[in-house]
Amino acid sequence: MITSFLQIAFAALCCWVLFITIDMIWALPREGGVVGAKAIASAVERAGGDIRGGTMMGNIVSSPDASAGTLLAACGVYCFGIPGGLIATVLVYIGNRICYDPGYAGTTGCFLATFMVYLGTLAGIPAEFFIVGMVCAILTIQGISHRHSSRLLGALWRLRR
Amino acid sequence: MEASQMIMEELGDIMNSISGPFSSPPINPPGESAELAAIICAIIALYAVIRVILEPDIMRKLPFLNVFSFGVAGIMALLIPHPLGIIAAAAYFIGSTFESNAIASTFAGGVEE
Amino acid sequence: MNILLFLIFFVIILAGGIYAGFARDPYAKLIGIGLIGGGVMPLIIARGYVDVATALAVIIPLSTIFVLQLCRKGAV
Repeated sequence: MITSFLQIAFAALCCWVLFITIDMIWALPREGGVVGAKAIASAVERAGGDIRGGTMMGNIVSSPDASAGTLLAACGVYCFGIPGGLIATVLVYIGNRICYDPGYAGTTGCFLATFMVYLGTLAGIPAEFFIVGMVCAILTIQGISHRHSSRLLGALWRLRR
Repeated sequence: MEASQMIMEELGDIMNSISGPFSSPPINPPGESAELAAIICAIIALYAVIRVILEPDIMRKLPFLNVFSFGVAGIMALLIPHPLGIIAAAAYFIGSTFESNAIASTFAGGVEE
Repeated sequence: MNILLFLIFFVIILAGGIYAGFARDPYAKLIGIGLIGGGVMPLIIARGYVDVATALAVIIPLSTIFVLQLCRKGAV
């Protein structure tokens, strides 16, 4: 039981690092991709957060990005192995185009996460723990306190600059 | 050549098992660790629902709704270790994201033509 | 399937339904309908109807978008 929770925590950390890195590389906090992201960013800023962090949170909500890609890649590897992860990559690409997003953050995130989850299964962490880990990671970013997490994302974005 | 033949055979088996009426294919019940994972995802989804209801600002409800969608998509994929599970979970997640996008866009004044 | 999972989803559906019923803001009502839809999906999957769940996953957001078009025209 304790080893299960430790494995879930490790998987959550891996997913957190992966999706934040890919989102920073694709410059999600730079500007609002869609109108909805700008609205959420201004609402987060009104509550005392950082505008760049709020823009990234708005982009995560409005379009499948690397976090969604990682979750669906973990689901794909759980159901069907590496071909499942590649099918999930195609589905995330279609989802990006449906949501009027011209970027490739979700697709690259899903592709890289497929191999990360597969390596995890080889190391002894089953794929379902990556699914739970990704849900826990998105909970820490979007589900606890928007002020603090948007400030953290803003600080990471300034590091990248 | 051998590997690709094996893959084609495997795909053929999967196609045979899911052809015909799609409902109630031979679905194996999830294993032990998947049960634990599903319960943790359900608790996170319940927490996100409570935060959605208690939040006064409409635009700030949407990130909590996104956490809820992550949880439900994860649970949907965990309950059936079958290839169709990916399609159901992805369809639900993309639909929920599209809906949140539409709510946020309409609240902000709509897409400029 | 655990009884605990069923209980959690029943609570989610009830909470979403009651919230959608008592909310004043139209956007809050739409979010409540989304909560009901999301709570129902795992129960359908648990019975084995994967194709029904996929169809619902496409239909519920589409109907929300049509209602949003009504909201827009009503507000203006």
